[in-house]
Amino acid sequence: NGAAFSKVRGSQSGEDSTRWHVVRKFLGLISSHNIPVYLIDPLILRLVDKDIEQIRSSPDGPSPECKYFCAPRDFTTFALLDKTWKHEVGLFRTAEKMGFQWLKIINKDPRLDGMDDLSGMEIPLHYIFKLASHAIHLVVFYERSGNFLWHGPLRLKQHMDRKFVPFRKLHFGRYPGAYEKPELLLVSIDDVKVQIPKNPSSFLEEMSHSRFLECRYREARAFFQLYPDDASLDAVEFRKKAKSLLHLSALTLNNLGVKFWLSSGTCLGWYRQCNIIPHSKDVDLGIFIRDYKADIIPAFQKAGLPLKHKFGKVEDSLELSFQGEGDVKLDIFFFYEEDDHIWNGGTQAKSGKKFKYLFPKFTLCWTEFVELKVHVPCETLQYVEANYGPEWKVPVKTWDWKSSPPNVQDNGVWPIDEWDNVIQIY
Amino acid sequence: MDEWKPNPAVKPHKKRSWYLAWKYKLMNQRALRKLCQTGAVLFLLVTVIVNIKLILDTRRAAYEEEEESAQDYDDEMLNVEVPRHPVNNKKVLDVEVYSSRSKVYVAVDGTTVLEDEAREQGRGIHVIVLNQATGHVMAKRVFDTYSPHEDEAMVLFLNMVARGRILIFTIKDEGSFHLKETAKNVLKSLGSQVAPFLSWRDMWTFVGKKGGEVYGEKHAKSPALSTWGDPVLLKTEVHLTSVEDAECHWPDTELNRRRKRFCSKVEGYGSVCSCKDPTPIEFNPDPLKDNKVFDVPVAVIAGNRPNYLYRMLRSLLSAQGVNPQMITVFIDGYYEEPMDVVELFGLSGIQHTPISIKNARVSQHYKASLTATFNLFPDAKFAVVLEEDLDISVDFFSFLSQSIYLLEEDESLYCISAWNDQGYEHTAEDPSLLYRVETMPGLGWVLRKSLYKDELEPKWPTPEKLWDWDMWMRMPEQRKGRECIIPDISRSYHFGIVGLNMNGYFHEAYFKKHKFNTVPNVQLKNVESLRKDNYETEIHRLLGEAEVLDHSKNPCEDSFVPDTEGRVYVMFIRMEQEADFTTWTQLAKCLHIWDLDVRGNHKGLWRLFRKKNHFLVVGVPASPYSSKKPSSVTPIYMEPPAKEEGAVAVPAAAEQT
Repeated sequence: NGAAFSKVRGSQSGEDSTRWHVVRKFLGLISSHNIPVYLIDPLILRLVDKDIEQIRSSPDGPSPECKYFCAPRDFTTFALLDKTWKHEVGLFRTAEKMGFQWLKIINKDPRLDGMDDLSGMEIPLHYIFKLASHAIHLVVFYERSGNFLWHGPLRLKQHMDRKFVPFRKLHFGRYPGAYEKPELLLVSIDDVKVQIPKNPSSFLEEMSHSRFLECRYREARAFFQLYPDDASLDAVEFRKKAKSLLHLSALTLNNLGVKFWLSSGTCLGWYRQCNIIPHSKDVDLGIFIRDYKADIIPAFQKAGLPLKHKFGKVEDSLELSFQGEGDVKLDIFFFYEEDDHIWNGGTQAKSGKKFKYLFPKFTLCWTEFVELKVHVPCETLQYVEANYGPEWKVPVKTWDWKSSPPNVQDNGVWPIDEWDNVIQIY
Repeated sequence: MDEWKPNPAVKPHKKRSWYLAWKYKLMNQRALRKLCQTGAVLFLLVTVIVNIKLILDTRRAAYEEEEESAQDYDDEMLNVEVPRHPVNNKKVLDVEVYSSRSKVYVAVDGTTVLEDEAREQGRGIHVIVLNQATGHVMAKRVFDTYSPHEDEAMVLFLNMVARGRILIFTIKDEGSFHLKETAKNVLKSLGSQVAPFLSWRDMWTFVGKKGGEVYGEKHAKSPALSTWGDPVLLKTEVHLTSVEDAECHWPDTELNRRRKRFCSKVEGYGSVCSCKDPTPIEFNPDPLKDNKVFDVPVAVIAGNRPNYLYRMLRSLLSAQGVNPQMITVFIDGYYEEPMDVVELFGLSGIQHTPISIKNARVSQHYKASLTATFNLFPDAKFAVVLEEDLDISVDFFSFLSQSIYLLEEDESLYCISAWNDQGYEHTAEDPSLLYRVETMPGLGWVLRKSLYKDELEPKWPTPEKLWDWDMWMRMPEQRKGRECIIPDISRSYHFGIVGLNMNGYFHEAYFKKHKFNTVPNVQLKNVESLRKDNYETEIHRLLGEAEVLDHSKNPCEDSFVPDTEGRVYVMFIRMEQEADFTTWTQLAKCLHIWDLDVRGNHKGLWRLFRKKNHFLVVGVPASPYSSKKPSSVTPIYMEPPAKEEGAVAVPAAAEQT
C-alpha cells in the first residue's frame, strides 16, 4: 500500500517528499515504543478540518494525492501526554539509529512551583527530532489540577544549539498553554495512520487563546513572609466556602459557554498571594457584556445560588450578586469595551448613584487557581493597579468600593423612574 | 520517619516540653529575640561571604587546573618522539585522621570530610569510605561501639563495602566497650594490628584499603580507667588507582548505567554493587489482574536514611501490581544519598528544604509531600502514603485493590491502613480477614483526596504548632468518628527502630513480634461486610456464635483460652465509659501487644487471635455489644500497677524510636 502510494506521490511535482518520509519514520519510531502521540500541527489540522467529513467516513481510504504531509514545511507538530509513557531512554537510542538528531528541552515542574521549597527533577517540555531537512516538534502535555492539560514554554538554555531548527517559527512554545483534554480520532491521511483531535476546528480555536499564566508563587511566598497568612478557623472556613462557590460558579458559567475571569479581590488574591484573600468576604468575577446571556440568572438559581441583587441593565452598568453558602457572596461585574479602555459600573442602592471603574484594555489568559482552570487578565498588573493603586501589595482590611479604588469615577444618578428596574434587591 | 513516636507519654517528649518552655520564655523576651535576629543576620552575612570566597577559590582552582593540563598537553606534544620515563601518574591523597576524647576529624587533601566535636554525641568508631580512584567520600558512618550490638552493625556495614575501597577509622571518646571478638577480627583482617587489643578509652586511627595495603595506624593507650588515651593524629598518603580498576565491568545496559552511577558514588549497599553477580535493580513482579490501584499515586516519605530507603524501595518494587511510574519519593532535606538511591531504581524523587524543627518539620514535610502528590497526579482520587522504614508485603497492592472501593463508597471510613497495631505473631492469624478500627494506624495507608483537600490540608498544623502529624490526624476534630480498615495480618512491616544505622538485632526482635504477610495473592474474605452497617451485622453474628470464656480464670494465663483451633471466644472486661481503658491496658500489657495507647478498638470491642482462635474482648458496659454478656458473667477488672512501674512500658519498648 505504502509503496503504491509513494509512486502516486512521486509523480507529483513541486511537492516535498522529505516531510512525508520523516513523519512516517517518526510515527514508526513512536509506535515501536508504544508511545501514543497525536497530531496538533495547526497548518495540517486546518487542511484536515476542511475534509473532516470525508476523512471520518472513509477511515482507511487512501487519498489519491499527498495532500497534507507533503507541503514543504520546516517541521510538523505532535503532542504527547506525559503520563502515557515511561521516559525510556531506549526511544532516543532507536531514534539515533534511525538517523534522527534530537533535542530535549527541560525545565522546572510548575506543579511543584507553588510549594514551599520543593525541588523535584526537571521535566521534559519539548522534544525536537530532526531528520534531513525536516523536524518533528513533540510538545509534552501534563495534567494539572483543575482537570486540564498544560504545556510549557520553549526556552533554550545557554549551551543549546540555537540553530538546531528555526525555533521562532514553531507553533507551540512561545508561551505556556492550557487545553482541555481532547477526544482523539484515529485517521488515515496521506497513507499515514495518525491520531488527531476529534474536532480539529475547536482545537484550533482553543489553540488561538491558550496562553497560560503561572501564578507568581515566589512573590506570593515573599508576601506571606511580610504578612503571615491568616490560619484562623474563620479564615479556613471562608476559603473553603469561597473555593466551592468559585467551583460552582465556574461549572455554571462553563455549561452556559459564558467566558469569565477573576476580577477585583479574587483577582488580587490570585496575583498577590496565589490564594483567596480570607478577609475579602466575596468572590468576584468579570464577564464581557457581549457574552451576556439571559440564562445566567436562572442557571445560578438552579445551581442553588439565589439572586441577591441586580444593579443596572444590559445596556449600562450591569452587575449581579448571588448568595452563596454561609454569607459568601458571588459578584458578577459586566465589562463594557470602548475604543481605548474597558469599564464596569457600580450602583449605590440607597442613592441611585452610578459609578464607573475604568481599566486599560486587556486580553484573557488561563491560569490555575484553587484547583480550577480559569481566566485572568493577561495584563494582570495593569488591571490590579487600576483597581487597587500602586499600593496593592499592602493588605487593606477596610475598602470602600465607592471611594477607595483609584479608577472609580462618578457616573451620575439613575433616573428615578428606572429605579425599579436597575436597583433590584432580594 | 525519624520522629515517628507512637505514644505521647514516652520519654522523649519530656525534652520537647522543656524545649517549649524555653521557647516561650524566649518569645516573651523581645530584646533577646532581637539579639537572635541580629545574630541570624550576621551569621547569614558571614555565610554568604564565605560562600562567595569559596566559589571564587574553586573557580581559580579550576582555572589553574585547566592551565596545567594544557601545559601537560604541550609537553606531550614536544616529547612525542622520545617517550618519557613511565610517569607515575597515580595521584596521591594526603589523609589526616585525628582521634581524641572530644573531637575527631578526617581531612583528605586538606578538605575536612569529617569533623565532630559536638558534646555527648558521635561517640564510638567513625568510618569513612573513599573511592580508591577519585578519593570521593562514598560513605560516612558512626558506630557507637560503647553500646551493645553496634559492633554487629559495623561488621554488617564493612562486609557490604566493596574490595579495593579505602577505609578510614577513628575513635571518638570510647569505642571498645562493646567491640566484640568478631568485630575485632574483621578489623584485624583489614590489616589493623591494634584492633585486637583495643581497650577502654584508647584512641585509635587507621587507614587501609579493603583487601589490600595498610596506609597507616596510630594508637594511644589509656593509662588508667578514669582517663583517656592521648589524642592521636595520623598523617598518611594514599595512592589512587585508575578509574578502570575501581569500577566493575557490567554489560552496558540502561540498568547497569544506573548501577554504575550509583556504585561509583556511594558505599555500603553490598550485593547491588557486586562486580561478579550484582543483585537486580529491576524486579518485574507479576501484574495484578484487574488492578484497582494501578493509577493510585504512591508517596514515599523519606528522611536521610538511604539504607532504609534502599531496603524499602526494593520491597515496594517487588510487590505484585506495583506501578513504578506512580511512585514519588519525597526527601526531607537536601540529601544526596537518598536521591542516589531513588535514581538507582529509576524512580522520581523530590527534595524538600525544611523550614521548621523536629516534629513540626516532619509534619510540614508530610503536608508538602501530600500536596505535591495530588498536584502531580491531579486525576487521582487517592494516594498511598508510605514511609522509608517500611517493608511492603508482596500482596500490598492486591490487598488495596480489593478494598479501595470501600474508601470511595463508605463515607464513614477515614483510611485503609496496611498495619494492624495489635497484629503480633501470637495475635494475628488470618491473612484474608479485615477489621474496622477507630484508630488510625498509619504505616502504609491510603488517603482519600477529598479528605485531604477539603478537610486536612486547609487546617494542617502550622510549623509553630510542633505537632506530630499522625497524632493530629487521630484527634477527634479531624477523625470525626470515622474508622479505618486494617488487615488482621499487616501488609507492612516497620523496621525503622534505631537512628541512622541498620541494626540487625532490633530488626530481629521486631520481626519476631509483629506479623507480616508473605503470602502472595491473598483473596480477602467478605470485603462487603466491612461497610458500616454490614460490619455491625457481622459483629453480632460473631458474638452470637462466640463461646464465653471462663471469667474466673486469669486472662493473662495461656490456659484462659482452651487448647483449640479455629473457634471464636469472647471475654468481657470492665469499661465504665467510652474512654475508660484501665482494664484493657492491663490486658494488652500481659498479652504482650500494643499497650502504649489504645489501638485497634471498635465501639469498645477488640478483635485478635489467641492460640489460633478468634478472641473477642468487649468492654462492659460502655460497648454497645455489652448486651451479649450473659448475666451470670462478671466483667473482668484489672488494676493498674503503682504509678512508677506503669511508666515503664516493657512489652513494646522495641517499637520506640
